[in-house]
Amino acid sequence: MTEAVLFTLFSVAAVLFAFNVVFRKNAVHCALHLVGVLLSLSGMFVLLNAQFIAAIQILVYAGAIMVLFLFVVMLLNVKGEVPLLTPGAAKGFGFFFALLGFVELLWIVLSSNGGGEGAPRPAAVLPAGFGSPAEIGRILYSTWLFPFEVTSILLLIAVIGAVVLAKRKFL
Amino acid sequence: MPGSLIPLAAYQLVAALLFTIGLVGVLVRRSALIIFMSIELMLNAVNLSFVAFSKQNGQMDGQIFVFFVMSVAAAEVAVGLAILVAIFRNRETANVDDVHLLKG
Repeated sequence: MTEAVLFTLFSVAAVLFAFNVVFRKNAVHCALHLVGVLLSLSGMFVLLNAQFIAAIQILVYAGAIMVLFLFVVMLLNVKGEVPLLTPGAAKGFGFFFALLGFVELLWIVLSSNGGGEGAPRPAAVLPAGFGSPAEIGRILYSTWLFPFEVTSILLLIAVIGAVVLAKRKFL
Repeated sequence: MPGSLIPLAAYQLVAALLFTIGLVGVLVRRSALIIFMSIELMLNAVNLSFVAFSKQNGQMDGQIFVFFVMSVAAAEVAVGLAILVAIFRNRETANVDDVHLLKG
């Protein structure tokens, strides 16, 4: 019962915040509503037995990435766009194709039966320690060790790229 | 560990909704900053989907994937915002309709 209430709360909050992200005029408001989406999703991750992911969602996304966003919003000091949305036929096409995409996603979700043929598969019994930092670390440093190392190189490249791009007398 | 009350499809539905809202943002807004935020929204919708499937199947690989998606998103935001700052410095705009240097 509690789970259903929390799920409803988090999902409604996430969708409402997401609408505000897309349709607000002020970029700072958009960024703050995006923080709301991220916090709601973090709550849903806890409901889904992903405690560690919920924690790094708040630390990395709501903390680091959103601070970067707010920093750039304030740095650029963009004047309020007079027409909020892209003008002309492009707007209509945008809404149309987004709706089309949503219908497709809906179709997939409703026809998939949880990934199996026939009757819906019951949820698997979760092993002890599912989603805990210890289990995540064990899998990350055994099965996924090579992708993990590649990620570190990716982050290094991103840091170098950001520094080079932000330098003066470039472009 | 008791089974979940909430069916997988409910989580997938929320993920689909969030993804679609993000898609609308990318297609319809003019400010490059808001487009970036919408992309973050879409990535998060996919993350929710990953975690929901991870619980459904009782395997933690989905959560590891969310971890990787997050690090790629962090890299993308750092580079993307740096590009945005460089464009703004040269052209005094963050509007994607005004940046058409490559348009013939």
